[in-house]
Amino acid sequence: MNTMQRARVVEIRRLSDSTFILKLERNKFKFIPGQCVNIGLVGSAVNREYSTYSGEDDNYLEFLIRKVKGGTVSEGLSKLKPDEFVTLDGAYGKFTLVNPAGKQKYVFIGSGTGIAPFHSYVKSYPKIDYQIIHGIRFESEQYDRQDYGKGRYIACVSKGKGGDFAGRVTDYLKKIPLPLDKLYYLCGNRAMINDVYDILSVKGINGSNIFTEVFF
Amino acid sequence: MKIAISYPPIINKRGQKAMVSQNRNVQFFKTPTYLLPVIEAQAATWLRNLGYDVYWDDGNSQLKSLEQWFEELVEWQPDVVVFESTTPVMKFYWKTTNDLRKKLPETIFIMAGYHSMKRPQETLEKSAADVVLKSNHVDFALFSLIPFIEKNPDWRNTCTIEGFTIRVNKTKIRDTGAFRQVQPLEKSPLVDRDLVGWKNYAYENGNYLQTPGTYATSVIRDCMFGKCTFCRYNGPEFTFSKMSVKKSLDEYETLINKYGVREIFDDSGVWYRGSDARAFAEGIIDRGLHKRGCYFGFNTRFEYLDEETIKLLAKANFRFVLIGLESASDETLRRLNKGYQNQYIEPSLRWLTKYGLHPHLTIMVGYYWETQEMLDKTVKFVENLMFKGLARTLQVTLCTPLDFTPYHLECLSKKVLLTKNYNDHDMSKIIVKTPIPHERYYEAVKKMYSIAYHPKFILRQILFLFKFHKRDWQFLFTYGWRAIRRVRQHIYNLTQANSEA
Repeated sequence: MNTMQRARVVEIRRLSDSTFILKLERNKFKFIPGQCVNIGLVGSAVNREYSTYSGEDDNYLEFLIRKVKGGTVSEGLSKLKPDEFVTLDGAYGKFTLVNPAGKQKYVFIGSGTGIAPFHSYVKSYPKIDYQIIHGIRFESEQYDRQDYGKGRYIACVSKGKGGDFAGRVTDYLKKIPLPLDKLYYLCGNRAMINDVYDILSVKGINGSNIFTEVFF
Repeated sequence: MKIAISYPPIINKRGQKAMVSQNRNVQFFKTPTYLLPVIEAQAATWLRNLGYDVYWDDGNSQLKSLEQWFEELVEWQPDVVVFESTTPVMKFYWKTTNDLRKKLPETIFIMAGYHSMKRPQETLEKSAADVVLKSNHVDFALFSLIPFIEKNPDWRNTCTIEGFTIRVNKTKIRDTGAFRQVQPLEKSPLVDRDLVGWKNYAYENGNYLQTPGTYATSVIRDCMFGKCTFCRYNGPEFTFSKMSVKKSLDEYETLINKYGVREIFDDSGVWYRGSDARAFAEGIIDRGLHKRGCYFGFNTRFEYLDEETIKLLAKANFRFVLIGLESASDETLRRLNKGYQNQYIEPSLRWLTKYGLHPHLTIMVGYYWETQEMLDKTVKFVENLMFKGLARTLQVTLCTPLDFTPYHLECLSKKVLLTKNYNDHDMSKIIVKTPIPHERYYEAVKKMYSIAYHPKFILRQILFLFKFHKRDWQFLFTYGWRAIRRVRQHIYNLTQANSEA
């Protein structure tokens, strides 16, 4: 159980106009990759949950955050400067890998910043056998693509050019074979998860092999 | 097909009725509070819309005796009976199912509820139930299962719809896999108020300042946070689904215009926040519903709503805000995975009261690690909030492990659970080993309930009158008397259980 309630900001790494990585001092903060942490602005009395983005052994904490228009917390966090502090509660949740040291194969399907827990898995468990299918609007949203193994990251770009597939994640999934023995992890917005769940079901994937984390 | 969605009236040896209470657990009370089981009501509506003959059979709200309820259900000769149960009344439901089976040999009995969904096999072994739903999404589960049963005589062998444990024959049980966690909530219909006899739930509810009141069709299924260890909405079976703001606004408009409702409460584990909450409040104002003399209320969490949102909610005539204040101890909050810090409780409440809302605190005591120091801190903290007028009402319960929540499993693994009898999980007494005698927690509960009689608290309510808000006058002169009656009942419950233990 973590007793730390504040963390110092190390860096705000801007990935696009609306998305950034909040890098915090680790201070022995414990988490299991895939868990989320409540982060708030000091003194604001409002916080929000964000999935961990950094690896379990990294000596810092990272969170991939999309700035929500009118969102008190995300807009405030985006304006933070190094050496300022945030409040921290957690880590919580069960969107974690059951046996990452085993021979299980995984398919990680995420939309937008829903890729955050998968990044944490990959950094924490470099030997896992995985495929990431990332639904994004623009090519520029392939955050930290270089962190994934060759051929393991597929960007489905729904607007504009670039990426590995032109279209939505759902369009891509309909076109490829989906092995029944893999575990499917879904993270992102509800609509994407609902649609993907339907496709997986039609292709014969049992609900016991599907794990979901809804962001909004 | 004839489908009964049934809630038998359950009365204990002290003549108290089983009611749904804090954390959606069952608690026994003499003075009733009838809460509409919203998801089951959606299920009933959906099945009726599909053309089935649906019998909304809530023996509690329909003021039936157990015998009357039993006879009338048998007389109706249902093809399917759907029950919903939790840990403290599990044994009762098993027996009732077995008794009904003798009278209704061909009927299919379906058990839903948070206990059986975690241990489906147990219910099939202990009772004559035919199917256990492994999901709390009873509406979606029945929507897919019932038509399948109707069309497939060999459904016990052939059903592959996920999320059920099915009795195939006397010796064989089948499991169809995990139920879908995220549902497109837009598909489930709004509750048909006439079908479920809405008026039976419109008056006997201590949280309504004005009647008739009603529960809205919940906008959130499961919980947006879903991490608190003692709560049912925590586990791999749960994530959360959300209904659109527009659909919910449409329902509020109908409830006010067609049914004349004067208080609406949304019992979603945690209601909207952020842009959804603001859009909802703006929608209420745009439709002019804030000027129709109807109050609105919801459950929320500390550190969820910012001041601007609260201000807008107040403008839209929101009143009742129910918030869990599980402890004043940060260690306890952390152990419960609450996701908020003690230092932000007061600022959050200050915003709510500043704009005239009425926060209602739900407090718990009796955690297996709770020391006298932690307990005293909570009591003092709550007294301070109430005396300052930062909360208007409260309820205190004993934290009871149930339905195989993470807290329940933790109690089992640490061997601190003092009973194996499910009936003991009814929140009437502490059932875990604690560092201090159980009496200390009961005293703390009494002390917190007694705040209602304290001159400082009463004076604060009188001072509120000078703000000349109708709701504050109603609070003191309508709700006040009712609250005192309920406080006496809570204290009585605790004293009785304690003296019989």
